[in-house]
Amino acid sequence: MTVEDVKRTDSGPALMLANEAVVRGALEADVKVTAFYPGSPTSEILDTFGEVLEHFDDYKMHISANEKVALETVAGASMAGLRAFTSMKSVGMNVASDSMFSIGYTGLNAGCVCLIADDPYAHSSQSEQDGRYFGEAAYVPMIEPATAQEALDMTKWGFEVSEKHKTLVIIRTTTRVNHQRGMVELGKLDRTPFKKKKWQDVKDQYFTVGPVARALKAKLLEKTEAIKKDFEKTDFNMVVPGSGGVGILTAGVCFLHTKEAMQNLELDLPLFKLGTLFPLPEKKLAEFIKPLSTLIVVEELTPYLETRIAALAQTVNPDLNIVGKRSGHFSEMLEYNVPIVEKVIAEVTDKKMSIDYDAVLKRAEKLKEILPERPPIFCPGCPHRGTLWAFRQALQQLRIRNNIVFNNDIGCYSMAFLPPNEFSDSMLAMGASLGLSAGMEMALEDKVIAMVGDSTLYHAALPGIVNLIHHNSNVTLFVLDNSVTAMTGQQFNPNSPFDAGGVPARKINMEKMFEALGADKIVIIDPYETRDCIGTIKEAIEADGFSVIISRRECALYGDREKKKRGEKIIPSENIKDTCRGIYACVREFYCPAITIDESDAKMVIQRDLCDGCLECRQVCPVDAPRHVEVKK
Amino acid sequence: MSKSDHTYNIMFVGVGGQGLMLLSAILGKAAVDSGFKVMTGEQHGLSQRQGSIYVHFRIGNPISPLIPYGTADMMIAMEASEALRYIEYLKEDGVIIMSNRIMPSVTETEQVALDKEKKAKYLTVEEIENQLREVTKNIVLLDSLQLAIQAGNARTENSVLVGATVACEDFPIPAEEVRKAVLALVPPKTVDANSKAFDLGRDEGSACLD
Repeated sequence: MTVEDVKRTDSGPALMLANEAVVRGALEADVKVTAFYPGSPTSEILDTFGEVLEHFDDYKMHISANEKVALETVAGASMAGLRAFTSMKSVGMNVASDSMFSIGYTGLNAGCVCLIADDPYAHSSQSEQDGRYFGEAAYVPMIEPATAQEALDMTKWGFEVSEKHKTLVIIRTTTRVNHQRGMVELGKLDRTPFKKKKWQDVKDQYFTVGPVARALKAKLLEKTEAIKKDFEKTDFNMVVPGSGGVGILTAGVCFLHTKEAMQNLELDLPLFKLGTLFPLPEKKLAEFIKPLSTLIVVEELTPYLETRIAALAQTVNPDLNIVGKRSGHFSEMLEYNVPIVEKVIAEVTDKKMSIDYDAVLKRAEKLKEILPERPPIFCPGCPHRGTLWAFRQALQQLRIRNNIVFNNDIGCYSMAFLPPNEFSDSMLAMGASLGLSAGMEMALEDKVIAMVGDSTLYHAALPGIVNLIHHNSNVTLFVLDNSVTAMTGQQFNPNSPFDAGGVPARKINMEKMFEALGADKIVIIDPYETRDCIGTIKEAIEADGFSVIISRRECALYGDREKKKRGEKIIPSENIKDTCRGIYACVREFYCPAITIDESDAKMVIQRDLCDGCLECRQVCPVDAPRHVEVKK
Repeated sequence: MSKSDHTYNIMFVGVGGQGLMLLSAILGKAAVDSGFKVMTGEQHGLSQRQGSIYVHFRIGNPISPLIPYGTADMMIAMEASEALRYIEYLKEDGVIIMSNRIMPSVTETEQVALDKEKKAKYLTVEEIENQLREVTKNIVLLDSLQLAIQAGNARTENSVLVGATVACEDFPIPAEEVRKAVLALVPPKTVDANSKAFDLGRDEGSACLD
């Protein structure tokens, strides 16, 4: 499999996920320190580094508490003279950016590369954020690969650029690059042993304020010019020659959609494939657009390239007709594909599309009218299902369903906004539920309740918690303690006794921490004892001051894997039909995918191969119909 | 198909937890070992079970990681309703290899359970097949679980589906390479059952596509 290809020492071809190719690139560049907080679509980078950590045993790795800490960790290692790498999702850079802007000023020492992954279509993110502006805003060079091969090559090159110019380098990707598997030509792997440096041998000052900052800024502008000169020469900024007065400017995965669209239309328009988003190779771009009458700019999200090329055209080719978002041809929303790009190119060049895509989509839409939706839901055995059920019962029993505000946070439990729970008054960003709660607690008569997972707790919720306790706020906080960072693939976090690669780490004692902070009430519930949770939740909600409900039960996916390792079997449950009275509490209030209806008798039936045997559904059933049944062989 | 020109597109679809990524890895290995170039666009991301998932799988000379609508030569559906969910990708008269297994969504179960007149029914495989037939007549509908049990291991459903691919006339990867990849990537203890499952799938596929 591909992790084996990551470990190979020889060069040669391999089929790799681009995220794995990034890891390979960093390893080929002899990276020595890595640190990450997981986030889709970058999580496989962390996972792959973790998987091969023991094998190489020549680099160090942290799963950090958040992206800012991760970036600072790799920056610190770079200052100390070791090559370092981190990656994060788009919004992760929002968290890390405070330090990133200062790192732009101070510069670094050994090669240091940070990958950020935008998520057009918001497949698994809270927004379609366009991270391309970070490079320009912080004077940090930013490069963008299109394929798995480029992901490997640009990661390696990023280390060179970083080390030559003593700067952080950002690789910007999008979901369709990270989760693309393709053929990669591996370079040779020549790792050196891990060796600590002496500060005396490597030291420099990384300090910026006032007059120092102003001096650094002047140097930074010179540095940017020097990098720009290099970027004018790199082959990653590539012109694909063609014929005619219509040209195309594109970058990243859009380059691939564009190339295929041109093939479908049997066109060979001249094309500029941009590899450096900041600084832009303006001379090379100027040469490219000079002879053109029309330029089609193919880029997802905001018109980042379009705006910059329009400014350049003002002096180089003022009559240039620019086809892009401002002309109404392309959308600033969602992600692109071959049909979207083909349609615009066909229109501009007056060609017929290779297929009537709209007709295909229209027919499919009609055929799908009978198809039920498949909304995202909690896994079978998920402890959140029980916690949220008990939470709802508690609110009902206290008759305060309409007198509370519920601030949700980022994690699997975000799905509380979907049926059957359908409540969540807010969800903004990691840890934001606490800050929002502070404002709402001042402004509202209602009871304020917030919810975070264990990973979010340590990521960005702690300052908000300290703030609430300090201000004597009346807020109830749920902490869903499922041992791991579940949503991104069950990575370890400060609430786990392990770090990357299963290396032992210190688990933070959550209850002691809340005690020390001065929480007024701390209760612990087991969501599998679902009914018992209701009373405890009620007490905590009714308590004065800052109360914490820790709902403790490991993530079912993680727990099942651990069970399998220990050789334990999962015993599925069965609905005892003689007991079942067709009340359907299990269906209406629970939404477990293992629960279905037998159409012959309208009784509930549990799909054995999906069931996790948690028996939370028995707790929800007024007549205790579901139970474990041992299968006789 | 020569190795240089045409691109053969396969759309893998299913439900989270069914092993779609392993299926994609098996065909990926088989294709690469046969000297083909491969490119995929995969859906990872949120790790919950039971969601709708897909892999765009392209062999030959693919450029984009995403298959354009109406150009998939083949669709492999591990769950029947998911075949319909992604039908816009299949070309006219493309091949569908699908399991007859349906995993109802929770919202569908709710509709069926709460209909007082008991008229609401689950969507059936026949209803799905009728819709698919508007696009193609080449449908291999497999009782994959039954065939897997017949092969000796209920967990070999994926091998049944993979076996059926090689029954397809224009499928570019040689049958023996596909079998080798299956047996290389499944747990060692299950090699015999998977080999049998592969054969059963191939035989069923040949019977459906003549």
